[in-house]
Amino acid sequence: MHVANPSLALPNIVLTDESLGRLSDWLAVQTGASRVTVTDEGRLGGAVAFNLALTLDVDGGPRAGRHACVLRAESAGRLAASIGRRREFAVLSAAVAGGVLAPEPLFFCDDPGVLGPDFLIMRRAEGAGGGFNVVKADAPEPELARELGRQLGLLHRVMPGAPGLERLPEPPACPAQEAIAQLRDWIGDLARRDPVLAWGLRWLEVNAPPPDAVVLCHRDFHGGNCLVKDGRLSAILDWEFAGFGDPMEDLAWFCARSWRFRRLHRDSGGGGDRDDLYAGYEETSGRRVDPRRVAYWETAAYLRWAAVALQQGERHCSGAEPSLELALTGRRLPEIEMELLRHLRAQGWADKAAATPEPAATPADPPEAASDAPVERVA
Amino acid sequence: MRTGPDAFALLDIALATLRGEVLPNVAPEGRYAALMVADALDIAGRELRGIDASGHAMLAALAPLYGEDADDTLAGDELRTRVEALQHRLCIEIAAGDFDHDGQDTLMDTLEALVRARLVIANPKAA
Repeated sequence: MHVANPSLALPNIVLTDESLGRLSDWLAVQTGASRVTVTDEGRLGGAVAFNLALTLDVDGGPRAGRHACVLRAESAGRLAASIGRRREFAVLSAAVAGGVLAPEPLFFCDDPGVLGPDFLIMRRAEGAGGGFNVVKADAPEPELARELGRQLGLLHRVMPGAPGLERLPEPPACPAQEAIAQLRDWIGDLARRDPVLAWGLRWLEVNAPPPDAVVLCHRDFHGGNCLVKDGRLSAILDWEFAGFGDPMEDLAWFCARSWRFRRLHRDSGGGGDRDDLYAGYEETSGRRVDPRRVAYWETAAYLRWAAVALQQGERHCSGAEPSLELALTGRRLPEIEMELLRHLRAQGWADKAAATPEPAATPADPPEAASDAPVERVA
Repeated sequence: MRTGPDAFALLDIALATLRGEVLPNVAPEGRYAALMVADALDIAGRELRGIDASGHAMLAALAPLYGEDADDTLAGDELRTRVEALQHRLCIEIAAGDFDHDGQDTLMDTLEALVRARLVIANPKAA
């Protein structure tokens, strides 16, 4: 696997007094302020983009006042699936306009003279992040699962043609075929050396559903990308993989065993039950959940996560971004493949009349993390 | 020539020291990185010790399909090359549709055994 475009590989930005000054000047122009004071509050999590907490003190102009923000910039080794900051800004705008709890995007900059790489600045949402925080309650959280479903349903009301989304790739005529082509591209030669990946890709081809609705998908919707405050969802983050696709794809990604954060027995992202997620989704989306189609996209989810893990490992191995976290992510491939096989075993093969339900997992299921280390999900 | 301890023993004592003496005292902001270091040392140790055993387990996994080529006397590079060749052959057959209608149960058993053999190194708890 490879970095999306090595020519785009940029060093991670570091805010020096000089670059902070350039950023302040640029922001003053953008806001019509007499002065903007930027305070660096430190780097935030996120293994794909570079995220920095900032406080902006704006003197004068329509945005006068203090603003808690996040600056998101391209990192050194951009993943193939990343849409970049300009498109992410547009997606955030469309999501917020649709009533989704996404951080409000404020500014986008593609002037390399300011910080170097493209970046966007958005409002900083309050709440605790990280998948283990989202699923930490001992009891299932049906209302949180419903709210996550409702949010996804709102997002999936955004259709191709929505204002501002012209720069996104064209909506696919057949999302399944497009996903297979993309996975083949990302997995590359490994599909001729790793029979698990070869079988997963073959399964996707044989079982590909015909096209149905095409909507704006988040494509990395899981507990690790949600903020929760006082038990309630406060924001959905990390929109850089968004694009048009089959709405069941997002539900499948959320429910995949890889994103249950050691709560394998709760099949709605580790925090609740699928029924609650689906009920919330149907409340706001205006469409019914198709479990069989979700099961198809769950197969695609494991292959996509496998491809991302390979790319993360390659970001380290290529020297673009030496990182132990990325290196360890690259070593998680067999773990992801085992999840894929468990899922396929539960689904049966193409000629079986109906998919069988996934065997009920128990809390005694093997932990999904590579070790006791809290290796955070990084896709 | 070096004196003892050898590389395996160095890894073992480094990991034991990290777990026993460093991790309990590391500041919260450094704990995640320290745990990742322990994880990496663990994987490296299992790979150094178990790469051939993993290769033999993979050959055994492939034996129901390609028994005649699953020679368990191989070691080192020869073993790796044989495993890679058989996996490549299986990939080609899968892509050609050879398992679309028949043999899926055998294939699934083989694939699960292959992955388990790799998890012995990468993450035994997930095997």
